[in-house]
Amino acid sequence: MATIIPKTSAVLTSLLRADFTTQWRNRRAVMLTLIVPIIILTSWKGLISIVGGPFVLANSITIGLFASGLMGYANAVARDRDKGIFQRLRVAPVPFWAIMASRLLVQLAMILIITTAVFVIGKEYDGITLSPVAYVFTYFTAIIGGAVSLSLGQMVVGWIKNPETINSTTRLIYLAFIMVGMFGELNKLGETMDDAVQWSPYGAVKTILSTSMEPDKWTSHASMALLVTLVYIIIFTTTGIKWFKWNTK
Amino acid sequence: MNQQEANILTVDGLNVSYGNFQAVQNISFDVRKGEIFGLLGPNGAGKTSTLSAIEGLLKPDSGTVTVDGYNSIEKPLHARASLGVQLQSTSFQPELFVIEVLQLYAGVYGLSLSKDDILAILRDINLEDQAFKKFGQLSGGQQQRVSLVISTIHNPKLVLLDEPTTGLDPQSRRQLWERIEAIREKGHAVLLTTHSMEEAESVCDRIAIIDHGKIIAIDTPQAIIDKHRDDPEVISVSRRGKITLEDVFIALTGKAVRA
Repeated sequence: MATIIPKTSAVLTSLLRADFTTQWRNRRAVMLTLIVPIIILTSWKGLISIVGGPFVLANSITIGLFASGLMGYANAVARDRDKGIFQRLRVAPVPFWAIMASRLLVQLAMILIITTAVFVIGKEYDGITLSPVAYVFTYFTAIIGGAVSLSLGQMVVGWIKNPETINSTTRLIYLAFIMVGMFGELNKLGETMDDAVQWSPYGAVKTILSTSMEPDKWTSHASMALLVTLVYIIIFTTTGIKWFKWNTK
Repeated sequence: MNQQEANILTVDGLNVSYGNFQAVQNISFDVRKGEIFGLLGPNGAGKTSTLSAIEGLLKPDSGTVTVDGYNSIEKPLHARASLGVQLQSTSFQPELFVIEVLQLYAGVYGLSLSKDDILAILRDINLEDQAFKKFGQLSGGQQQRVSLVISTIHNPKLVLLDEPTTGLDPQSRRQLWERIEAIREKGHAVLLTTHSMEEAESVCDRIAIIDHGKIIAIDTPQAIIDKHRDDPEVISVSRRGKITLEDVFIALTGKAVRA
């Protein structure tokens, strides 16, 4: 009897079903991912007249993306690697890329959910509306921004094996991004620090998001920020894949 | 049928190392169609490394692994499609129900099974009532049954079981032996690793004893006992007058406890 290799589409469908079910059963964690951006969105209502709606929306989306990609993705991969879930899948006739592609597609859905939630609450509670083109453009840049946070998460799980250490490391990075990123936006940390924040992963993602909400105001600074995000994605992904081990032993 | 055709697995000159440590050294053996083959050895002898190389989980330094005629390096998906695998510490997504885990693995092996099909599979192993429990909520014996049924869900030609009865009570262990023999009766071959000499004597048609990454004996359990029963080392470690496989194993691999 000839050996039958399952179709990649069928394999991917099965993996996606399982990964989306897993994400759905972890919906409490998903809600927690949404809480911080929504708190910022609602508590900064009074700032909108000063800094503008796009600034508030962009900060909220950026924080949501880093919460989901950096903490959610990295910790889920760390846990599954530690439990041997990846090893069990790898002994099946599954292309290795399909295992990670399924995870990334779930994360893509998360990026769209976070962005949509911020848009909806921004409109309903804060009264922030964008042009239809700006919404489309922002979804596009949110995916790029999400890729930065996912690749950073990938680099952390590639660099560190212990799941508890990964958990604490991602929380520290997340906290550092929020604190330094937000204060840096206020231009109160000095010129050098302000520059560092502006071109940090947080700052670059925030810049492309806020500018994409006003596409007619797209500047060379925004183009440079987009280029920087792409460089971050390449560096983080390359090192994250190079260092990544499928098991912790 | 020539010898090559009679083999479902051929391992030839396999070498595996971790840095400077040579875990597997030039190992060669084959598993024939319809046989249960046991790989025995102390902790750290190289059993799991050998199995991992066969499963495609690690790339050997040199040597070849051929599964059902497919070279595992050149045709990894074909080789893995011919294998059913139960890892030493298998874990499935803790959020999924047992029925969903089976659905996932049926899918990744290219099977389209309905919910009723999967419930029938669970009924066969007396776990239909556990279908909507999460894997972690099952007892050790139940988890082993689920794990074993997943490893054979696609009707593989060779089933690899890494210490399948570790931690099971005697009833569960006997039941698992019966299931392993049932796999053979369906025409599949089984390659298992074990620390249990009783298991090797009861279940395996042939065994290989591996130590420090090398095969030091390979034959039927009885033939290995007969070959070494008069060795002074074997007689000196014998505890009850009657020479057992364990006596031979201890004499060949030494009394020192391995880490």
